[in-house]
Amino acid sequence: MFEFLFKYPREDYARSELIFVGHWSAWVLVVIAIIAVIGISVFLYRRHSFVRGYQLAAIWMLQIAMLSLVVWVLAQPTLSTERLRAGENTVALVLDVSESMVFGDAESRFQQALRSLSGVVQADAALNLSVRHYELGETATAVTSFLESQATATSTSIADSLGIVLREARFSPLAAVVLSSDGADTSGGLSVDELAAIAAFGVPVHTVAVGRTAIPEDIEITDITLPDKVLPGSTLSARVSIRHDAPASTQVKVYAGDDLLALVPVELRADAGITTARVEFEIAEAGHHRIHFSVDSVPGETELRNNSRSTLVEVANQKYRILYFEGEPRWEYKFLRRAIGNDDDLQVVSLLRVSPNKFYRQGIDTPEQLESGFPTTREELFAYDALIIGSVEAASLSAEQQVLIRDFVSERGGSLLMIAGPNGLGNGGWGQSEIADVLPLSLPPSSIPSFFRKKASVELTPQGADAQMLRFADTLDANRLSWSELPNVADYQVTGSLKPAAVTLLNVDTDIGQMPLLVTHPFGRGHAWILASGGTWRWQMSLPLEDQRHETFWRQLLRALVASSPQGVSLTAGGGSGDSNIVLRAEFRDEEFRPVDDIGVTAQVSHEDGESWSVNLQASAADPGVFTAEIDPTESGTWYFEAVAHRNDEAVATARASIHYDSGQAEYFNIRRDSAQLRALSEATGGQYLEPQDLDMLPDLLRYSSSGITEQEYRAIWDAPAIFILLLMLKAGEWLLRRRWSTI
Amino acid sequence: MPKAFRKAFNVLCIAAMFTAVTVWGQANAPDKQAPARAAREAPGEFQFVRLAYAPSQYCGRGYGRQQMWRTDYPDADHHFVRGVDRLTRIAAAEQPRILTPMDNDIYDFPWIYAVEVGYWDLNEKEAGRMREYLLRGGFLMVDDFHGSCEWSAFVASMSKVFPDRPIIEIPESDEAFHVIYDLDQRIQIPSRMFIYSGVTWEKDGYEPHWRGIYDSDGRLMVAINFNMDIGDAWEHADWPDYPENMTALAYRFGINYLVYAMTH
Repeated sequence: MFEFLFKYPREDYARSELIFVGHWSAWVLVVIAIIAVIGISVFLYRRHSFVRGYQLAAIWMLQIAMLSLVVWVLAQPTLSTERLRAGENTVALVLDVSESMVFGDAESRFQQALRSLSGVVQADAALNLSVRHYELGETATAVTSFLESQATATSTSIADSLGIVLREARFSPLAAVVLSSDGADTSGGLSVDELAAIAAFGVPVHTVAVGRTAIPEDIEITDITLPDKVLPGSTLSARVSIRHDAPASTQVKVYAGDDLLALVPVELRADAGITTARVEFEIAEAGHHRIHFSVDSVPGETELRNNSRSTLVEVANQKYRILYFEGEPRWEYKFLRRAIGNDDDLQVVSLLRVSPNKFYRQGIDTPEQLESGFPTTREELFAYDALIIGSVEAASLSAEQQVLIRDFVSERGGSLLMIAGPNGLGNGGWGQSEIADVLPLSLPPSSIPSFFRKKASVELTPQGADAQMLRFADTLDANRLSWSELPNVADYQVTGSLKPAAVTLLNVDTDIGQMPLLVTHPFGRGHAWILASGGTWRWQMSLPLEDQRHETFWRQLLRALVASSPQGVSLTAGGGSGDSNIVLRAEFRDEEFRPVDDIGVTAQVSHEDGESWSVNLQASAADPGVFTAEIDPTESGTWYFEAVAHRNDEAVATARASIHYDSGQAEYFNIRRDSAQLRALSEATGGQYLEPQDLDMLPDLLRYSSSGITEQEYRAIWDAPAIFILLLMLKAGEWLLRRRWSTI
Repeated sequence: MPKAFRKAFNVLCIAAMFTAVTVWGQANAPDKQAPARAAREAPGEFQFVRLAYAPSQYCGRGYGRQQMWRTDYPDADHHFVRGVDRLTRIAAAEQPRILTPMDNDIYDFPWIYAVEVGYWDLNEKEAGRMREYLLRGGFLMVDDFHGSCEWSAFVASMSKVFPDRPIIEIPESDEAFHVIYDLDQRIQIPSRMFIYSGVTWEKDGYEPHWRGIYDSDGRLMVAINFNMDIGDAWEHADWPDYPENMTALAYRFGINYLVYAMTH
């Protein structure tokens, strides 16, 4: 209808500019219009004695409107449209040939894409576009045609591929890029920076999306969250994310080699696109362990390769050191030490003020260690991974020592645990100390007694129920029950309000209500914790000898303290997901944990089969003491890295890391069509996102592309039927009114 | 009214008046149990607990004296607690406490003192309770028993507690002798009878022994002070005639055991 009334489609009006091309100049038309208005007005005024005022006004308006329309037609309104010049432009057709394009039903994604692109050129033969063909995979490859193309690329990088296409065509009249793809990008997706870089070429990218956005008959493991380094005997808690489009039942299995470590049934709910299952298992032996996760297939599932993933875990024989500073002999001190006495991975070095003039040291390595009391230098304090402060007044440490503690958490990345006591927390004046900001809770002033020797029960918070470090049982319900059956703690201490990022893991029920018992929050590079009771020892004394909950609590709590503690020299291998490169990040700090920059860093890269080479790591401009490199792994398997820091040709520090890498597996994951990514690409470049049923829009999109060599097309619209119909309606309206008022 | 009747009435009135006064007096008398109840709240981290045990057939010569566990009570307990308070950083409760092996509260007090253990006779249940208490982390200090006969009586019960753990001499190097004070002197601490007799030993216990029972991790659980009377030295700390050096040494042993128990 629009096209009938106005001669051209609505889109033509949207992309065109309205201009006037009449031969009469504008002032002539204005003069004619003024004379006509005056003439009409005088003529009608002379008849005012025969008609009423409002009738006269209506007739006047209709005649003026008709006059305006006539003047507008005389000005010859015309659409000015920019369109490609025939025979002088190029279009780049980009076909996704990654393996994920093999998926499909009766017709594969690849066949759909091929068909959509083949129709592009024939759509407007008059335009005579020259066509360039590209296959898109990890990179773009120019081909003469798609006749021999096959979906065999083992990875997809849309950003890298389009970058190549656009750079190649930079000096040719490229009108548009037409990309037909499922949008599944194994390089991690298009970042904002990558989109901006593609848009900067000024060439619209039209995307033709193929494939289904939902595949109810398929489930896949999208992600596994697991620490890459643990202490021997630790219970590992893995989070396995399973993508699904329909409700189903499955089970997650965890293997180390042929050994089944865990099996957890999982219900996939209809209203959840991704279900995360928590699986817990133990690895006792030190060394690198390849952990294999798999989920059972659902009925009708054909793609089973995305039902499993592997990752590497290093069980390290590292000994973590914890300094425990206590101001008075007490049972909590004794039973804490006993609880972790048999843990070979934790060394608790304690400094206990037994009498007003004597400190008693336990767990020391040398007679000189802590001989002068609490550390006074960064080097001495930062040698520990965590610090526990018990029932001791803040005033027992100098301001410099308190600043050291603050730096220990914020700069060294150590953990600080403050335990309640008659001289601890608020009673000890820590709320007004240099480390008050470090703590996850505000503390009352020392003038207000806050420590009470009254028994109180402990309760898990929702966050605590989810915390691995507070697990006594395999299931959440059993764990909650286990906590609810614990004997009361012997005492508690009242604290203040929570800091913004603080998380309460345990609460204590007291005479005056419920209050936080175990709280933590991050501070700088480290974490601070508060345990508002010095009476968990009652769990040990009140429960049967075989009950290990007290020991487990302290072992897991102390392990949580040290788990996030960075080492002075560290190397991490990240990335490698999909087919992206492995990123090596080495950090070197001295004994005071100050960044070391006057070194060169080389990494030896080794594959499990023996292939080996070395790379130089580059110093990071943003992070002092950090050196990085990207490694392009040549094959699947376990990769080992050893970074060596050199100064004056002398090795000064060494760090090791490892990662498991699966090459060629990426295309089997994320197989659902990523419409959002393709839409974002089109919108960023000024192109159009299309689905196969929208392909008839493509010829027009190409014809009027803003890129390439264009010309102006002028199309008159003064003769559009709508104008004459309007003229007729205005005149007919006047005639009808006059007849009704009997003024004819 | 007959005279006899009036007399009986007067007696009844006087009796009623006495009864009322007595009831009123009892109702308003200070609560003798109040200190004990207050003590139960354990206002300190450490509370001195004395083990009340059943007496034994003393060395095969008939039943021994009753309540030997009360020996030196309460002065020894009070004096020692004050010493702990004065010489250490331990928050000690002022009031001592008495518990039997089967008292459920025993687990709230991981340090316990037993005296005259040559007279004790633990039955199987009590021995099992003491074994559980000690293995969970409790500490037992025994004191004031002398000679071979009392030793046998002590061992008879102790072997029920730990049939499989030997009693050994505590080595000189053990932390129990160094945790606060370096107790290198091995002097027999005598009872107050020493003031009159000049003899430091009792019965045939001529040589003092510091013995112990250890757990599987090498921690001392039971400190056995044999052929000496540390409790008497605490009790008579305020006696001008009792040797001051003996009292000081007794305090030091007790404090070392206590701090050891709170650190190991």
